[in-house]
Amino acid sequence: MSRGHTLQDLLQNGHLLVLCGSGGVGKTTTSAALALAAALAGRKVLVLTIDPARRLLQALGLDDRHMPVNTPLDVLPKQADQLKNWTGTGRLDAMMLDAELGAVAMVERLLPDPILRQRVLTNRIYRAFLPTLAASPDYIALELIANLHEQGHYDLLVLDTPPMHNAVDFLHAGGTLSSFLNERVLKWFAKVPMPGQKSRFSFLGSGASVAMSVLGRLFGQETLPDIAEFFSSFQHVLPRLQQRTEATDRLLRASSTGFVIVTAPGETPRREAAHLHAELREQSMPFAGFIVNRVLSVPAGFDCLELTDPKGHSLTQFLQTAGLSGHVAQALLLASQRLEHLAELDADQVLALRQLAGPLGFATVAAQRDEDLHTLPDLAEFGAALLSAQQDVVVP
Amino acid sequence: MAKLDRDNPLMEALLDKHVLLITGKGGVGKSTVAAAMARLASERGRRVLLLELESVSRVGPLFGLAAVGPQPQQAADNLWVACLQATDLLRFFAMQQLKIAALVNLALRNRAVDSFFRAVPAIKPILFLYQLWHTEVHHGPAGDRQWDLIVCDLPTSGFAAGMYAIPETLMSVFRFGPVGQYGQGMRQMLVDPRRTGLVLVSLPELLPVTETLELHEMLRARYQVETAAVVINGTMPQALKLGELQQAADKLTGTPHEPWLWAAELLQSRHDRGTQAGERLRQSLPGRVLELPYLLRRSLPLAAIDELAAALLREAP
Repeated sequence: MSRGHTLQDLLQNGHLLVLCGSGGVGKTTTSAALALAAALAGRKVLVLTIDPARRLLQALGLDDRHMPVNTPLDVLPKQADQLKNWTGTGRLDAMMLDAELGAVAMVERLLPDPILRQRVLTNRIYRAFLPTLAASPDYIALELIANLHEQGHYDLLVLDTPPMHNAVDFLHAGGTLSSFLNERVLKWFAKVPMPGQKSRFSFLGSGASVAMSVLGRLFGQETLPDIAEFFSSFQHVLPRLQQRTEATDRLLRASSTGFVIVTAPGETPRREAAHLHAELREQSMPFAGFIVNRVLSVPAGFDCLELTDPKGHSLTQFLQTAGLSGHVAQALLLASQRLEHLAELDADQVLALRQLAGPLGFATVAAQRDEDLHTLPDLAEFGAALLSAQQDVVVP
Repeated sequence: MAKLDRDNPLMEALLDKHVLLITGKGGVGKSTVAAAMARLASERGRRVLLLELESVSRVGPLFGLAAVGPQPQQAADNLWVACLQATDLLRFFAMQQLKIAALVNLALRNRAVDSFFRAVPAIKPILFLYQLWHTEVHHGPAGDRQWDLIVCDLPTSGFAAGMYAIPETLMSVFRFGPVGQYGQGMRQMLVDPRRTGLVLVSLPELLPVTETLELHEMLRARYQVETAAVVINGTMPQALKLGELQQAADKLTGTPHEPWLWAAELLQSRHDRGTQAGERLRQSLPGRVLELPYLLRRSLPLAAIDELAAALLREAP
């Protein structure tokens, strides 16, 4: 979204919500909860998720078919708060990205001609890299999102970005794709002679022949026809791929898109969140705010006790007046002090993120929970909690 | 460091391997586990290389290193750290094939070559596996290995799963060329339990443990790889014995002192779930489970890494 929108605004009016952040911060659960909240508010929503936990899959009714699956919302208890305003018009679909199937589907979309398509799908270079796609589903996810957006079946797309060590890599996927789409380079490869064939292209000059000789030495001469064919088949998809890349880029920067950085307490998530925030700013991507999960907070009434000891007794003595043995009182005190210290560290981190978000971004805090969320009512409750959390947003 | 006489045989066996591959879902503490294991091996006098696949090293700062790049940098006695990015991996591969630095520079500056490597998706795990295998098999002039142990902090379990698929793919797709032969070499290294140990890092909760076991089963069924060890990272200490907690709860519930139960109860419920999760793992992988305590502090200085290294050596309960 354009500057200064709350999480509510985003869910209500946005078209694309991108959740990014380092691994293990609850990104997938948060994506599902926000998508559900938007659906309950009456919008048609698709959440695209990658590698979710099995029980979350079950909650969403998902299997791994790489296609949208509807999540029936009528299983939610009717008395649930979140359902009070439900008009029944909303819809939640969930889809789990499968990188290999996604790659095949992408080739199908880009190459409608069955003969050309078959050439790509049987190409050795393509086949060699297909199984490793699981390691970087970023291209696939971006292309898929652009495609879904174009189809226009949904009001809101929620993208849970791939679990990569470095979340910033995701933002570079589009750029990587465009740099590959260098028409001149593709043409070079398209003209490369097959082995045994006398070169008719000496006028090509050094570029392509150096490239072929290098690649031949790297991968073996016998792979050259495959390499040449890999590129020549891409030439056919060039215009469409180019258009798709531009569309993806436009979509990511649109005013109805919001990037939400999901993070959690801890040194690594904090560093990654700050890094990601800087990167979004640098690339002029629409940053919306932070969601800080698993923040430890001290229960209400906990601090006051420190003040209510009338006689200046030590806290251990104070607990002993409740009839606890000295040893037990000591242990309770020690545990409390340790966790209170952790809660203070968490609070400092949240404060730092609020400052980083600036006056126009939000920093929503979700408390640490004792259980993983894995049922639809759990997710609904979590989504509602996120929306009602204090957000500190200043709209100009 | 921990005493040597009652050391955990599982950990000892891990330190005898040539390569340790550390993986697990995001946020489970792979880097910490990798650092602790590397530290442990180096203190045993083994020459250790810790490899990270990051844009910025996570382990370097623990040892006071400002910047860590692709060249191994000494972090402590017997311990070197290197941090590899895709371009470093590509340069290494090209250097091994083309041999001459000037030629490598020329090749990598070529737009078509550059474009090729940008275009092929997910080339990183392939190039990484190549570099790891090459480093592992490389012997010095005296027949000695360059490193006694290479500890790899792998990005995610998805990366690891993709990596295990590579050798077969290379062997079938490039059947006759050098690349197919590399695939064969990589496969031999990955499946040989004397050379390579796969370490899965998990959390003391049922759900992560279930997913860890699923990954273990998948790797075993599909690639005939045995998990060498599972590390449960961050088990919670009990604040009080169960009877004592009950006693405290009886006395404090309903009184103004009740909030003081909060911390002990929170620690207890985490502890219980951790115990359950640990039992589940030990049933499936008896003798292959290591536990690391949760350290009640948020940043991990070197002292904490040493504390964890010592914990890895303790006999499992």
